Amino acid sequence: MKTPRWVPWVYVGPAALVMAAACLYPVLSALRLGFYDWSIGTPWSEARWVGLDTFTRALQEPAVWHSLWITLLFSFVCVTAEMVLGIALALALEDRPGRPLRGTAFFRTLFILPMMIAPIAVGLIWRYMFDAQFGLLNALLGVVGAAPQAWLADEHLAFAAIVIADIWQWTPFVFIMMIAALANVDGSVLEAARMDGANGWQTTFKVKLPMVMNVIVVTLLMRLIDAFRVLEVIYILTFGGPGDSTEILSLHIYKTAFVGQQLGSAAAISVLLLAVVAGLSCLALRLSNPLAEEHP
Amino acid sequence: MNAPALPPSAALRRPGRYRTFQPADLLHYAVLLLLALFCVLPIAVMFTTSFKLQSQLFSTGLNFFFVPTLENYREVLFGDNFDRYLVNSLIVGVSATAITLVLGCMAAYGLVRLRFRGRRAIGYATLLLRTVPLAVLAVPVFMIWSQAGLANSLAGLVLLYVAVNLPFTIWLLYGFIQQVPVELEEAAAIDGCGPVEVFWRVVLPLIRPGLAAAAIFTFRIAWNEFILALVLTDRATRTLPVAASLYVTDIGVDWGKVMALGSLIAIPPLIFTFLAARQIITGLTAGAVKG
Amino acid sequence: MQRRDIVKAAGLSVFGAAFPIASSQAQDRYAKYRGQTIVISVPSHPHYDAMHKLLPAFTKETGIKVEVDKLQILRMKDKQLLEMAKPQGDYDMVSYVVMWKGEYAKKNLIRDLDTFLQNPALADPAFDLQDIVPIYRENIGLVGGPRGYLAGPGARLYGLPYGAETSVLAYRTDIFARHGLKPPATYAELQTLLPIIRAKEGIGALTSRGQAGHQCVHAWLLHLDPLGGKVFTDDWKPRFNDEAGVKALELLKEISDTGPTGIPGYGQGEMMTAFLQGQAAMYLDSTILFGQVNDPARSKVGGKVGYALHPKGVRQASQSGGLGLAIPRNARNADAGFLLMQWLTSRPQDIAVAKAGGIPGRNSTLSNPELLQQYPEYAVMREQLKYSDPDWRPIIPEWDEINIQALGIAISDVLIGKKHARAALDGVVPRVTDIMRRGGYLKG
Repeated sequence: MKTPRWVPWVYVGPAALVMAAACLYPVLSALRLGFYDWSIGTPWSEARWVGLDTFTRALQEPAVWHSLWITLLFSFVCVTAEMVLGIALALALEDRPGRPLRGTAFFRTLFILPMMIAPIAVGLIWRYMFDAQFGLLNALLGVVGAAPQAWLADEHLAFAAIVIADIWQWTPFVFIMMIAALANVDGSVLEAARMDGANGWQTTFKVKLPMVMNVIVVTLLMRLIDAFRVLEVIYILTFGGPGDSTEILSLHIYKTAFVGQQLGSAAAISVLLLAVVAGLSCLALRLSNPLAEEHP
Repeated sequence: MNAPALPPSAALRRPGRYRTFQPADLLHYAVLLLLALFCVLPIAVMFTTSFKLQSQLFSTGLNFFFVPTLENYREVLFGDNFDRYLVNSLIVGVSATAITLVLGCMAAYGLVRLRFRGRRAIGYATLLLRTVPLAVLAVPVFMIWSQAGLANSLAGLVLLYVAVNLPFTIWLLYGFIQQVPVELEEAAAIDGCGPVEVFWRVVLPLIRPGLAAAAIFTFRIAWNEFILALVLTDRATRTLPVAASLYVTDIGVDWGKVMALGSLIAIPPLIFTFLAARQIITGLTAGAVKG
Repeated sequence: MQRRDIVKAAGLSVFGAAFPIASSQAQDRYAKYRGQTIVISVPSHPHYDAMHKLLPAFTKETGIKVEVDKLQILRMKDKQLLEMAKPQGDYDMVSYVVMWKGEYAKKNLIRDLDTFLQNPALADPAFDLQDIVPIYRENIGLVGGPRGYLAGPGARLYGLPYGAETSVLAYRTDIFARHGLKPPATYAELQTLLPIIRAKEGIGALTSRGQAGHQCVHAWLLHLDPLGGKVFTDDWKPRFNDEAGVKALELLKEISDTGPTGIPGYGQGEMMTAFLQGQAAMYLDSTILFGQVNDPARSKVGGKVGYALHPKGVRQASQSGGLGLAIPRNARNADAGFLLMQWLTSRPQDIAVAKAGGIPGRNSTLSNPELLQQYPEYAVMREQLKYSDPDWRPIIPEWDEINIQALGIAISDVLIGKKHARAALDGVVPRVTDIMRRGGYLKG
């Protein structure tokens, strides 16, 4: 069927236009803005062109590298924990093929809840629960006889706090993905393995998991990219503190722009974050490319 | 040839397919229960706190028994312009969802079915744009929107939300449209349907679960989003999540009120969750989990 | 005309003539603006919550409606900067933190108040500018004088204090009585008391701010000034790492160690809550505490609190700071905005806001017998204001950056045990010097 050349653009055009204007163009502008020194409250005409100065200064700032480090650490710890927990729980709780337990549908509904709640509410709830004086966590510690901790005041505990909040929010997501993947595993292959004498562990690790490896990888990359984009929860939970022990890169960018009022510097640092995320995204694309499936 | 992936939870709905209860299942249920509690507990904390007065909040130790009060809800709903923020949030949420669905649907269809130059480029660009961190967008958008006069307007916010949600929506619907057999469309074309009719009558009904999932996800983001709304709204166009952040002050956090507002904000997502869990799960797993 | 009408008319004219002249002048003052709506930008802050309760009375008296845009302080600043930089802005009156006065005046965003105060059509003859606590007026409102922010030649009035504060010492009379202790009059006495109270009573000795950023710097500055230190020398070189600076920081660490758990994360709210909920025996910080002590919703220590002067180090000094009101240059209804400002800071309204839980800004309010019964601590505050130091903190636009990126991190590092006081302060001198150089305060 030969369609006129302009027809695809009717379908794709509007969406492409909106994305280009309101997403791509700002991203490119961020790149351009990085070449200027501009603070909020002054008109654009007063912005000074400083060339690569902002970029080099940003790359030399210990604060920026510290934020990058914190972000990497945060992402690594969270994603590892979420993947391990999610996979383990999925393996433990998967339905034997075709014979599900009554009530699992209801439970899965509950597991989606953490993802659906507004991130700002998530941040507020956990901030309340980690409160040193009146928080639930310290109350629970009191019940088991441990001393109350100043969660949000200690640099290591605050980091643990943001990790815990993220694990709470996203482990269910990994769990759901893995359950769905495991449900699609062809039972006959497992049967064959069992008949060959493989025991439980071997079936799991050598047969089942490799069969869902592509889902694991996709989920892992999705989580990794999203971990780099976290902002709202940490904004409310610790706002980067104490000190700068939880100042992830997104938050550092926000603070540079809207607290430090330096839009040029913020844009320069954004480029750095964007580079990292884009790198990860390209990797993700290589490994699971929806577009690569052409019709036979 | 790949068979279309069966939405896993569909299997759970068939009657008579539940296995008989065995003692070993007790452990299974126990773990499920523990997980469910883990997921629900913080949300329950938010709800219970919203019914407490300040003086009740300031007590160390666990206290399960307290006299609930509606004072926080009263202050949130009737003071502080709640109705204005609610209307703003609704306008933004519904508009962004509707526009994203329409544009995304059309674009996904175009990418699946039609061959044209630039298809790969747009496809890849879409996938990459999905991963842009919002903090990276906040700074240039603030500048550009201010200069274009879009700052502090609902339209400006909706435009941004549409742009941010289109990539995921397109990607999601792409997977669903792919699963619609081409033969059906060709049959309809032979029957004399124009391309628009084919799209409307054949494809759309078949991707309804995908549309539902996309709608829920887009609405969820538009309704819950905070950082971009914080930067781009003023007192006339403020949305609910931004209003919630106002209860966090330098002097302290008004926990009762902020949890009340948080609970109110959580109501639509909660409704969606309980009504459409299946669609949500399908939406999440489609594309990643291929048969 | 019927006889009844003549009597009515005569009665009315007599009645009308009996009205005080001032009142009819007041009506004249507001008449032109009746029916207008003005928009004001204020922070989420207890004093402004109290102000909120007064606004209906303003509308009733003047016919001017007020729309309030309440924001968190940090967000409020960049919102204000945006609004005031436009050709015509949304705000007719703004509330600002004292730290921003230099920046706002330098960027020409707010108006000199003399034009309003000397305008007979707007000015209230009963206003009495001198009654406003002079140290507040100087600290919050004057720009352009010595060092840019002190009184003296070149200073012009850009704002009026509203929500200004100084620091006092508050202590639990019951705890002190129980152990036969006296409230400390000097820093030496304070330092001795810290471990004693901790050991004997088992609760925190002194509550304090400690959160990284401007909170912990505020806490440190509270002790720095009385102990003889300052952040900069007269020609803007950093001197905060001298003996006084280190001593103040070491004292702050000791306060944190003997205080309630969690001080390194305390903002202003947590600090007050700790005292109000009985987890600390003493409080040394802003006078905004006054309105909270007897509020049963927030405080368990009502009726058990005594007040004293900020302890003396090498000098008797206390903080000065807080919030003020200004008129944006690009305000649409600047005159009406000024009328609100004038009304809020007038004698009767200052008393009203104090009754509603806000902070008084006038000497007459602080001496008001009725209020003194409700808030006997005003007597301490009046005494304290004599020693309030306007140069307690450098009020320069770069201070925000120094707070958040330099000192705020160094001091927090000491409180969480990551560094020692001397090393932390020495380590941040280059950063601060760099910021001051970029701001043009230092050459080379």
